[in-house]
This record gives sequence, structure tokens and C-alpha cells, in this order.
Amino acid sequence: MGVFWAAVVVAAQGQQPPDILVSRQLAEAEGLGVGDVVDLATSAAGANARPFRIAGIYEPTPDPMQLGQVPREVRMHLPDLLSLTRGPDTPAGTEHVDSINIALTDPRDADAFARDLASRMPGVSARSTSNPSFDGNPFVVLERFHLAIAIVTIVAATVFLLALTIMLVDERRETVGVLRLIGLPVHRILGQIFFEGVLIAGVGALFGLVLALGSERLINEFFQWRYNTALIFVRITPEVAATCVAIAVPLGAVATVAASWALLRRGALRLARR
Amino acid sequence: MRALAFAWRSLVRQPARATLGILGVAAVGALLFDMLLLSQGLVRSMRDLLERQDFDVRVTATEALPGTGPVIDDAVAVVATIKALPSVREAVAFRIEDLSIDRAGRRRVRGFLQGVGRGAVQPWTLLRGGNPQGPRELVLDEDGAREAGVAVGSSITIRASCSAERDALPPVTFRVSGIAAFPFDGPDDVTAATTDDGLATACGEREAGMADMILVTAAGDPAAAAADIAAARPDLRAFTNEQMIGRIEQGGFTYFRQISTVLTTVTVSFALLLITVLLTVSVNQRLGEIAALRALGFSRARVVADVFSESVLIVGIGGALSLPLGFALAEGLDRILKRMPGIPEPLHFFVFQPEALAVHATLLVVTAVAAALYPMRIVARLPIAATLRDEVIS
Repeated sequence: MGVFWAAVVVAAQGQQPPDILVSRQLAEAEGLGVGDVVDLATSAAGANARPFRIAGIYEPTPDPMQLGQVPREVRMHLPDLLSLTRGPDTPAGTEHVDSINIALTDPRDADAFARDLASRMPGVSARSTSNPSFDGNPFVVLERFHLAIAIVTIVAATVFLLALTIMLVDERRETVGVLRLIGLPVHRILGQIFFEGVLIAGVGALFGLVLALGSERLINEFFQWRYNTALIFVRITPEVAATCVAIAVPLGAVATVAASWALLRRGALRLARR
Repeated sequence: MRALAFAWRSLVRQPARATLGILGVAAVGALLFDMLLLSQGLVRSMRDLLERQDFDVRVTATEALPGTGPVIDDAVAVVATIKALPSVREAVAFRIEDLSIDRAGRRRVRGFLQGVGRGAVQPWTLLRGGNPQGPRELVLDEDGAREAGVAVGSSITIRASCSAERDALPPVTFRVSGIAAFPFDGPDDVTAATTDDGLATACGEREAGMADMILVTAAGDPAAAAADIAAARPDLRAFTNEQMIGRIEQGGFTYFRQISTVLTTVTVSFALLLITVLLTVSVNQRLGEIAALRALGFSRARVVADVFSESVLIVGIGGALSLPLGFALAEGLDRILKRMPGIPEPLHFFVFQPEALAVHATLLVVTAVAAALYPMRIVARLPIAATLRDEVIS
């Protein structure tokens, strides 16, 4: 149902009109403020318009399903809405509503309640509000998409990392050869390289996290501005940070050891170019 | 020996690092290619889908997208007014409601029921049987026919859930006149279509009176038809396919374009940084060798060209490999995104466009040039005597 609002009446006269709340986006777009009185009608022509007083401006609850649609919304008491939208042939009290929010004694009964309702009242469907992990949920799908992108990025980064570590290890071939010649066993050198890899990967992961935290605000501010919403698009949670470190550090260390292993299998004299 | 051949030999001499460098570029290039396909893919796919139908103009009650805004009242009169316009060849009312199909002893099948006014053009492709002729006939998609276990000529009992009627409606029996493919059908959706009177019957209405939109086929220029409709019915909104795409673009579709822009930027920066590091480390390891070549008579421009050729070879081969990889990856990513509810089967998020290939090639060329700049500078400024001396001493 569309409710159309008409000209703003600056001052209320006579009986105080009912209160409404106006979304921030609508208020900004139309220059509305608290205390203004507006006429609302259910048709674009403005027939049967009724005055309402703006009691407050509210920030709509961010709804990812409505991304891109600027919420030009008004909230009013249900009796006021029914009175505004009721047809001339509809007796008061027989109007319909779009949905009913139900709080269950035990939220775990949501699915059973939905099934029970569907069998008792064909045509009425009930859905749990706390079960977002079903297969077709857009956000579960988007999460999978981002995960796939992340995996490709990790593969590309690993390949580059291996190429770089091979070169870096090769650069230290003579040093490794000398260490071998003075008696250091392979596992000792490998251990040193491993800890070096862990250190470098750790510092790199921390740098990456700092970069991500810095860009988090930028990305959120950009998209919030772009879509005029309070939705949060990027959130670096401790779990996300821990996952990044848990992938990056072992990956870096393993790449260093893998690159070094081929080198250490060669003879000490050959490494030292003697 | 030419610079390119010389650079090739340098790469072949160190196959592990060359292979890894090329594979890295291929993986990054594939991601870059996919992001370019994604940036316009959905919009292009939607445009194809709209243009594949025989309707050029869509008329709605408000600016809201069809199905999300108020309905058009008195649709029969509106269709008659639009049909009378000389710039219009055909106009049909279109309304969609929820549907459930009763199955004996099994769970109901849920889907959509379309009510379409009679006209020469229908918004579906008939696969078998015929179009619905009366208010108790319908066409059903393949999924619906399979789920309900019906064929052409069978009877089917459906229950509509209509926006204008909040009470639970009684079941209505229809005859399946045909099996059809619906362009906006999702992979798991069940869609049926009947006449506007048929939908009114299912909704318990006396006659067909409302429509979500009016589908119009223009006699000539769609923009002229849209303008004529807007002039004839200023209370309604008429949009050509192009304008409809614009409205859709303003909605959630831009999300993928923004994401693709961000990821393209990140991917190119990532590739640039890594190839620069790869080449720089590689050049630093060969400073003595390069100084020796200069001492033997290789010009400064020539050694710079060698480094540049190496970058071109790594990025070029990696870039070429990235295309088949990118197509394969796009296929997988498309499959993931198409799990979203309400996405029509023929709609794709990743759509190949020659422009994307051109941008991909341009970005890789820019990356190859930019990545080679710093190592080329090192080589160009290399002091021959001092480097050779250091090499001998070390």
C-alpha cells in the first residue's frame, strides 16, 4: 500500500492531529522537522487527506533486503493507519493487516509453531525471524561468494609468496652453505628459517589487519553514503581477524620452509660455491 | 638476440620462479577478469532478458518496481486506453499472486500464479499444448508439472493467496492447457499462468480489475510509445526497457558493481605490488650479470628493454592463462550467486562482454609497464665498474 503525503502545514490548528514518525531519509529529502504537520493520503491525487503531526525523526532499522531503496517511510499507530486506509464499505474492526509479529514462550518452537499454523489456517504462512541460515538466504549466498573470492585471493597470494620466498632463499644460498660447512645441521637451519618465516608472516598479517581496520571505516562510510543507509557493510570481528592470522601465518611459514627445503637438500660445498 | 628472446631465456633459466610468477598473475588476472564480467554482468543479462520478450514498455502505478508498489486499478480500461494509441501495437495486463498446489498426501507445492490479459503476445514460451483460453485453464512450467504430477489436459487444484484478499481462499480446479517456460522463473520456482479472469476466479473476485503492470509492445519507437502512454494516463508511469534497467540499476544491482570496483582496484594493486617485488628481487640478484652485459657492450636501453620484456612475458603469459581460468571461475561464482532467491534461471551475474576483455588487457598492460618501472630504473642507473668490482670482491 502506498501512502502519499501532501503539502506541509507549518502550524497545527484546532484539535491536535495524531502523531507520526518520519524516516530520516524522507525528512532530509523533503525538509521536514519535528512539530511539522503533514497531510497524508492513500492516493497520489491527495483525496481524503488527513493531517498528522511529526513527533519524531527516526533512523529506519537497516534492512539489507532493501539495499538501494531509500526508505521514505512514515510510522504511525495502527488504528490511525487503519482509519486512513479503510474503505467506505469496510466496517471498523474488519480491516486486514499485512503481518503479525509473534513472540513465542520458547523461541525454539518457531518451526513447530509455523507448521501448526499452516495446517490450521491454510493460506497463512509463518516464518521464523531467527533462522537466517537456510540455503537460499541472500546473505548466506553472499557469504559463500565472498568466501570463494577469498580462496582465490589466498591461492594467488600463496603462489606469489612461494615465488618470492624461492628468490629470497636463493639469495641466501651462500650463507646457508657456509652455515652448513661450519657444522650446523640441516634441521637447525630449517628451524631458523621456519621461525624467520613465522616472524615475517606474523608481521605481515598484523600489517594486513591494520590495513583492513583502516579501510573498514572508509568502505563503510562510502557505501553508507552511496546507499543512504546505516547498514554496516564491513566489520572486522575478532573471529575474522583470528581466521586471517590463522591462515596467513602458517601459510607464510610453510611457504618459507617449502622454498628452503629444495635448497637445503643440495650439498654444502655446492651451496657455498666451492 | 632480441630483448624478448633474451628475457624468455632468463625466465627459462629459473623455471620455478618464472612458473610461480606466471601462475600468480594468472590467478590474479582470472579474479580481475571475473570482477570485470561482474561489474556489468547482471545489468546486461537483465537487459537481454527484457529484450528477449516482445514487450518494449512496462506501465506501473508508481515509480516502484513491478510487484513492490501499488497495483493499477481498473486495468481493463487502462489496457483499452493504451491499446487505442497509434504508437502501441499490443498491451496486456499482468498480475502476479502467490500460489500453492494441493497434492494428495504430500506437502503443498508453492509458487506464483500469473494472470495475463488476452493478447497476441504472451510473456511465456509455450513448450507443449496451448495457451489458456478460459478462466479455468492455465499453463504450468516444467517444474510445476513434475512436482504436481500433471500433464497437458490434466486437472490441477490450486489455492491462490491474493494481496487484495486476506482470507484463506478456497481451492480452485483448473485444466492444464499447456506447459510453458517463463523468462523470470527461478531455478526452484513453480510458476503457472492463466487469463486475467482465471486469476480473478482463483482470488475469489467477480471480475479481473487490477494489474501489477501493463506490458506493452510498441508499434515503432518504444520511447515514443512510453511518452504517448504517459500523456494519455499521467497518473501512471511508463518505462521503456532501457529505463526499466536504469531503475533496477539504482536498486540492489549496483551493489555488485561497487563490489567489483573495489575488488578490481584491490586485485590490480595486489598484482602490481607483487610483480614489482618479483622483478625487483630478480634484478637485484642479477646485478653482476647485468653489469657484465653492459661491459660487454649492451646499451642501457637494451638492458632496460630486457627487464621490461621479462615483465611483459610474465604478465602476458599469466594474462593469457587467466582467461580460461577466469571463465571457469566465473562459472562457479555464478552458480553460487544464483542460489539467491528470486533470481530467474536465464539471469547471470557474470556475462562476457568484449569491453571487459579490452579493459582486462589494458589493465594488464598498465600493470606490466608500471611493475617494470622501478626495476628498469635500477638497471638504467647501474654503475658498471662499481657493480663488477663489488661482485668480484664478494
